[in-house]
Amino acid sequence: MSRRFWLGTLVGVTAALALLAAGCGGGRGKSSKGVTALPSSSCSDIYYQGGGNADYLIASDLPLQGSGRTQTVQMTEAIKFVLKQHNFKAGKYKVGYQSCDDATAQAGKWASEKCSANANAYAQNKSVVGVIGTFNSGCAEIVIPVLNRAPGGPVGMVSPANTYVGLTHGGPGTAAGEPDKYYPTGKRNYIRIVAADDFQGAADALNAQQLGLKKVYILNDKEAYGQGVATDFKNSLTQLGITVAGFAAWNGKASTYTGLATKIKATGADSVFLGGLICENGGKVVKDLRSVLGKSVTLLAPDGFTPISAVVSGAGASAEGMYVSVAGQPNENLPANGKTFVKDFGATQKGGSVDPYSSYAAQATEVLLTAIANSDGTRTGITDQLLKTKVTNGILGNFTINANGDTSANPVTMYLIKGGKQTTYKTITPPQSLVGKA
Amino acid sequence: MPETGKIVDEVRDPWYRRWAGLPGEWKRRYRGLDDRQRFQVGVVIRALVVIGLIFIGWPLALLVAVLFAVPYALAYVPKPWNRFNKFVIPTIVLVIAVTYPFVYSGAGVRLEGRTLNLLGAYPTLGTMVIMGVYAMMAVGLNIVVGYAGLLDLGYVAFYAMGSYTAAWFASIQFAHRNIHFGAVGVGPNTPGIHISIWILLLLAGIFTAIIGVLIGLPTLRLRGDYLAIVTLGFGEILPQVARNGDNLGGFNLTNGPNGITPIDPPGFGNLNFLTGSGTFWTTERLYFWGVLVLVIITVFCSLRLRDSRLGRAWIAIREDETAAAAMGIPLMRTKTWAYATGAFFGGVAGAYFASFKQATFPGDFSFNISAFILSMVILGGMGNVWGVVLGASFLAFLNQQGLADIGHSFNNTFGTSLDVPKYQFGIYGIIIVATMLLRPEGLIPSARRKAEFHEGVADTPLYDVQA
Amino acid sequence: MATEASRQPVSWFRGFYAAGVVPWVGRGLVVLLFIWLGVNLSKTPGDFGILLVEGVTLGLVYGLVALGYSLVYGILELINFAHGDVFMLGSWMSLYIGVQKLGLDASSSGFKVVWGLALTLVCAMAFCGLLNASIERVAYRPLRNAPRLAPLITAIGMSFILQDVGLKQLGSAPVSLPNILPTGTVFTIGGNKYGWDHLIVGLSALPVLALLVWLVQRTRQGRGMRATAQDQEAAAMMGINVNGTIWFTFMIAGALAGVAGLLYALYSTNIAYDQGFTLGLIAFTSAVLGGIGNLPGAVLGAILIGLIQQFNEGLSWHAPGSDWTQSIVFAILILILVFRPEGLLGERTPEGG
Repeated sequence: MSRRFWLGTLVGVTAALALLAAGCGGGRGKSSKGVTALPSSSCSDIYYQGGGNADYLIASDLPLQGSGRTQTVQMTEAIKFVLKQHNFKAGKYKVGYQSCDDATAQAGKWASEKCSANANAYAQNKSVVGVIGTFNSGCAEIVIPVLNRAPGGPVGMVSPANTYVGLTHGGPGTAAGEPDKYYPTGKRNYIRIVAADDFQGAADALNAQQLGLKKVYILNDKEAYGQGVATDFKNSLTQLGITVAGFAAWNGKASTYTGLATKIKATGADSVFLGGLICENGGKVVKDLRSVLGKSVTLLAPDGFTPISAVVSGAGASAEGMYVSVAGQPNENLPANGKTFVKDFGATQKGGSVDPYSSYAAQATEVLLTAIANSDGTRTGITDQLLKTKVTNGILGNFTINANGDTSANPVTMYLIKGGKQTTYKTITPPQSLVGKA
Repeated sequence: MPETGKIVDEVRDPWYRRWAGLPGEWKRRYRGLDDRQRFQVGVVIRALVVIGLIFIGWPLALLVAVLFAVPYALAYVPKPWNRFNKFVIPTIVLVIAVTYPFVYSGAGVRLEGRTLNLLGAYPTLGTMVIMGVYAMMAVGLNIVVGYAGLLDLGYVAFYAMGSYTAAWFASIQFAHRNIHFGAVGVGPNTPGIHISIWILLLLAGIFTAIIGVLIGLPTLRLRGDYLAIVTLGFGEILPQVARNGDNLGGFNLTNGPNGITPIDPPGFGNLNFLTGSGTFWTTERLYFWGVLVLVIITVFCSLRLRDSRLGRAWIAIREDETAAAAMGIPLMRTKTWAYATGAFFGGVAGAYFASFKQATFPGDFSFNISAFILSMVILGGMGNVWGVVLGASFLAFLNQQGLADIGHSFNNTFGTSLDVPKYQFGIYGIIIVATMLLRPEGLIPSARRKAEFHEGVADTPLYDVQA
Repeated sequence: MATEASRQPVSWFRGFYAAGVVPWVGRGLVVLLFIWLGVNLSKTPGDFGILLVEGVTLGLVYGLVALGYSLVYGILELINFAHGDVFMLGSWMSLYIGVQKLGLDASSSGFKVVWGLALTLVCAMAFCGLLNASIERVAYRPLRNAPRLAPLITAIGMSFILQDVGLKQLGSAPVSLPNILPTGTVFTIGGNKYGWDHLIVGLSALPVLALLVWLVQRTRQGRGMRATAQDQEAAAMMGINVNGTIWFTFMIAGALAGVAGLLYALYSTNIAYDQGFTLGLIAFTSAVLGGIGNLPGAVLGAILIGLIQQFNEGLSWHAPGSDWTQSIVFAILILILVFRPEGLLGERTPEGG
């Protein structure tokens, strides 16, 4: 079969497909007249089942690819659940929702051009009045300034998961000019309902102290989140007087970490902190650390090592006895409204399990809808309301947002992996004195 | 043994071989035609294509019809004006590009009132800026790979160098200094170095050219394959240096994985590209027209280089190094110039892109980008600037927007739920392999390359002896 | 290197080379390296010992992949970028057959493990061999007479396609395998344990190398391969079926990749869709380090790279650390190509390797 034959076939098939696709419709998703949809290349169709046409749109900006996919997809389901509960209304406004993806399948995590493109889409689209997201702090660094300078006023953003400190306040471990460099107009437009890494680092340090650990070796995965939380942890440890045996990075693309583990063993550390994401080959790191250091060494990890099921499947028996901290309350410790949400939402989910981040996504939606309801419908108005958020009897209980955009409720939960399962160990709320100097 | 009573058929090829042989038959007949008949066949085929495209969208059909008709019309242009013939089509494309923001609105081309169904949507202006940036990088790589024949697999290093140069001199990275020079959009008290982006583009190009020379030096003695690997190595080392660069002996050079953000926007006096001014000079249009100007300058430089003495030296080296050296071409110097020039354009593109994204992260740079730009050069036609720009625009569009949109259209049409962007790199791989096997000279080849590629490929080797 | 016309002024660059400075700089670097190793040995001998053994094991695994590169380069002078991804698919095939279909895991009995692994080995070798040979037939053979760049670029395209297949099968995050090989301790050095699984993997690589060398040196097919590698036209004139030999070489290289994939999966218990790219570069560096086209050289180079990686990450005195491992490996590649392009065991040719 000659070359020309294949060339001809290729052209023919492509042309046929093109004509087919052309003839049978397609194009962007159905939009209700009233709001302009966000581009279908990044976002889902508009989710609106209320009466008439939606007045405004809210969007969620989450990484919907990669190992965390199950988590983030459930978060979008939680947002839809809450919106439906409110009957797609926020006060007198009718609100529709689109879920947008800031990840690429290739990287399996967020990508900066996607974050940038999404942010520009939100800013330029007049129907978008609020964004729930992002999941990763690095992406937020790109999105917040673009939303801040949006035409028509800064667009408000509520994050259920960003933990990098510099996004809302400065301090040790943040770069020069943070956080003001994210707010070029000078007005704040970003709030988060989880505790920042300085709290998580402090809580982890307190946990280490309470476990009686004397010498901790700190690893990080050389990404923005991982390095940040490792630095915060290191600062808190130094505060508490615990020795830091060393501070090094692991390479996510390496085949083996026995060399690194040998170096750690040589320092005589009795515990290792893994500041980073599980998808950066975290499972293999845990395995090799266990095999070289043995069972006597305690392994600690922040919330980058969630979902815990991924840790167990990635590290197998080596993950036994590992502590994972997550900023926020576990589902069983949520107040009444939270428990109701978990029960009702869990009923709609296969297997009935609700990831803790879904509760946070739901609370973020509540916060945003409340802000829209209390506002005059303009972007500036909604953003102002966001920064005055005061929640009573919410899914996460009672908390207020301060002028920086930080939440007042900062519990951090320690989970222990026992018998291959996630068990709640304890909840620590670090005192401001430890965090302030972190 | 034939069965009794049955008429034995003449010996014939099975049906699939007969059908497969049809295009070969057409090719044979086409070769037998004279020039006039070939012309007629060409007209008929082009007309059929235009008619087919009408089903997709009449603006596209009109555009393609104009582009097809122009060469015919140009044949009638009298002698003294002949010289400008080759600029007509590029000028038409340029006019369309410049006026694109006016006909484009967020929901698609306003001209026809319904969106183009094939690709789901026309490119947004943001996508157009990215297409322009990649076009610049592809033209730069074309100089190294296409003109000089040096396979460079580490072009991302130049992109990174350009981005970080813009980041160093137009952000608050070096906050202990306070140097302002022509920057827009930053107050006089903002710490850090803030130099006007336009100057920085030049500066980034020069810095990157120096890096290009340094990268090129070890490779000068090496053959093609080793050269590729060494450049790949540099393409991996530089991003890792960027990632570890927050603690180089205590000095924070690149701010590590957190990247450098925000980077100042370009502008003139009061006009800041980020905020725009009024409804005509919107921020997207400003960035788009800016990149258009840069692309035009890059293409112009590339064309002039190709036709210069240096360009001819590059082509000579590409064809046969030994012969070129025997004719007196200084090999090392010429190769070094190739790297420097290619790197220059990569650096300029990187700096503009960083200013557009207002940020630069070490995670942005990986081998995939080098391979991506290489596939643009190959698809477009190694050595042909217009082809390379076309290939770059097409692939960059696919990457940003096109694949996702095609995926949506496909899923809506056929009811499937394929995640097309997941197969992005497989698709690029297929494009590369198919191009190299079926049309290695690319979409718009230069005549020289076409002859070169088909010279050995279709020949049956002397020694195909079946043992 | 081509000669320049005699009236060309000698540039400073050529002068640098001509003055013989380069070999001395190279020797100086090697001396510094040994001094650094010596200091570390004296400070932490236990660590040094275990890192040495671990490095050799890791190097042997890399070596199996490097052998495939060296074979193909020797015969076609083509860097087969897709080879690393064939290796990755070999690991996937091991996962699929061994773990998912046969159900091997840490609790399987010795008998089941041996037979299960044997079956998986056969499947992986067959799959990868056929895959590699098909790639050659479809993508490289039509371009045999095209300019040098063409098959190289096609190899990159093939690599992407295979990576995408891997992405679809494995997902973007690394996949964990159970510890099929026994993990007991063989011996300890200065308090550091060395496990049975590493020993088995390391020892398995040696017969493979021996078999390969025997194949290339002693058999008729091997003679055909060497002849084709030397001069294709002359080999054809002597009656060797060139196409068949090349096809056979790719088949063997693919089978090697399959073996490497299985051993890597057993050694590392962790496979990712992009491991082919990373390991491919390391393997190619090893092949170049040892002398491209030279089979024992490829393994030697791989062992050296494995040692360098382990020492870099594990030693405590002025070790750059795992941040810089990848850069160091590439820097070594570049330095080798500058100072000694023919590699450690190769022969110097006029073109410089």
